[in-house]
Amino acid sequence: MTHHIEELKKLAISKLNLNSIGIIIFLLFLLIAIAAGIISPYNPWQRFEPYTRPNSSHFLGTNDMGNDILSELLFGARVSLIVGFGASIIATILGVTVGIVSGYYRGMMDEILMAITDIYLMIPRIPLIIILAALMRPNFWLIMLLIGFLWWPTTARVVRSSTMQIRDTSFILSAKSLGFSDKHIILSEILPNINHVIIPKFMLTIASAMFSEASISFLGLGDPTMKSWGMMLNFAFMKGGLINEMWWWYLPPGLCIVAVVFSLMLIGFSLEEKENIMLGLE
Amino acid sequence: MKIHSKKIARYSIALFVIFSLNFIIPRLMPGDPITNLLGEDYVMTEESLQELREKMGLDESLPIQYLNYWNGVFRFDFGYSYHFKGPVSSIILSRMKWTLMLLIPSILFSAILGSLMGSLSGQKSSSNSFKALTLIELAFYSTPTFFLSLIFLYIFSFKLGLFPIKGFYYSGGIFDILHHFFLPISIMTIFLTSRNYMIMRGSVIQEKSKLYVVYAKAKGLSDRQVLFKHIFKNASLPLLTLLALDFGFILSGALFIEIIFSMNGMGNLIYEALLSRDYPVLYGSFMIISIMAVLANAFVDFLYGIIDPRISDSI
Repeated sequence: MTHHIEELKKLAISKLNLNSIGIIIFLLFLLIAIAAGIISPYNPWQRFEPYTRPNSSHFLGTNDMGNDILSELLFGARVSLIVGFGASIIATILGVTVGIVSGYYRGMMDEILMAITDIYLMIPRIPLIIILAALMRPNFWLIMLLIGFLWWPTTARVVRSSTMQIRDTSFILSAKSLGFSDKHIILSEILPNINHVIIPKFMLTIASAMFSEASISFLGLGDPTMKSWGMMLNFAFMKGGLINEMWWWYLPPGLCIVAVVFSLMLIGFSLEEKENIMLGLE
Repeated sequence: MKIHSKKIARYSIALFVIFSLNFIIPRLMPGDPITNLLGEDYVMTEESLQELREKMGLDESLPIQYLNYWNGVFRFDFGYSYHFKGPVSSIILSRMKWTLMLLIPSILFSAILGSLMGSLSGQKSSSNSFKALTLIELAFYSTPTFFLSLIFLYIFSFKLGLFPIKGFYYSGGIFDILHHFFLPISIMTIFLTSRNYMIMRGSVIQEKSKLYVVYAKAKGLSDRQVLFKHIFKNASLPLLTLLALDFGFILSGALFIEIIFSMNGMGNLIYEALLSRDYPVLYGSFMIISIMAVLANAFVDFLYGIIDPRISDSI
């Protein structure tokens, strides 16, 4: 029996650890993004001697334009995180609205909204963004909006199925019979009770949005006035950083992308898994 | 095994919407539609441009243009590329086979690897070694394919000299092609395996508390038997669905690998078209990728009917 309790404790600790490792990494990057102006040694656009190796004044050397790579990296956190957060907020608001409306009202509305969702899901998103970004002048806000407006369907599906699960429970029925309006029921009964599905999905959408922004920027479609990590990688690749084996140029931005996406996925997946345990699925 | 008519309608509408988007985008965007349609990689006088405008029907009203557009689509005419000097459809088709050569083996390998490891890990989800494996797979899942390609290229080609740096393989025998394909296929397999692993693991965790599993255990089957005779089939359904639904995303992953390795598939075609602003190739690629994504979904629906007969009746 004591052995069993020990096991449970161990399980709880390791669960806690995974989630908190994710949170710590993510908060670290959030802090970097907020404090970039204070902690960064130089302005990321200030020009020094180009292509210098890491040294005491430039911890990660300089790029082809002579910009300090460490400063670029720290300010890049800001750009990449804003795109990720912004896009995920748009996608989550859209997804939650569509999901709740179709899961709560069902019927014709549900049929139509889900048909639209299914069709949206089949559109290859990265190639579509490539076309739109190529036709328009690359712009930071545009890329954020495009990702936001293309990334909502999976959230909508998850929210719809959770809404359907609780719409027939007794507390919703009693709220209905007390004569509360649909709007009230949705906002103060359903929404708080599906938060646990929305939050992990929100985290995973930030991860996915940052991943996609990095990919699009890597193709050179990023905003030239806002250097994200993906754009740093693009320059490093295009301007010979790889061929000249300047690992200090292309490795840090890539590792930063991986670290942030990893931390968000860790948070998202462990929240989802905790959910399954609470539902008695594990 | 019939695919429900509602599904067919949905796929047709999806294709209709995507193709219409492709008509609307060049005409809606800022700038001269003829530039948006031809690309920016041509030199022409204003006179010949006007002539071309007439020939392409751009001075007609939009509804007529739209009908002409569909006429072209049904003849598989996606326009002409001034950069690559040829019809877009044949350029894309000639590149497509190389992309499929990268994609199909990777999908097969990763389906086997990911579903095996993922289901074992899902069954023993509290074991520490599987937790460590999950963290590793999650790290690979968080790595964009182009970054993994950069690292692999640096280690295996630059430092160790085991594989060629560039992936042009017009000539050469089967071994030469395999030599060029080894790294790209490995990277794609690693990326897709991590994805399949996470999906399969989650799916097995959900399935394993269901009643049929308890019953199979009560019959006295071993854990392995329960997993592979009962859980596996049900748990692999989400894997199939997500493979089809995210086909566009998966294909994009392959395109980025091709760009890093300068391979001869659609990835570099799109990249080159992007650098020279050769829009017809971009539109054509988008349409072909969309058709492939819709076909992948239809194919999975068909497979579903075979694997799980309950579903074809209920959709």
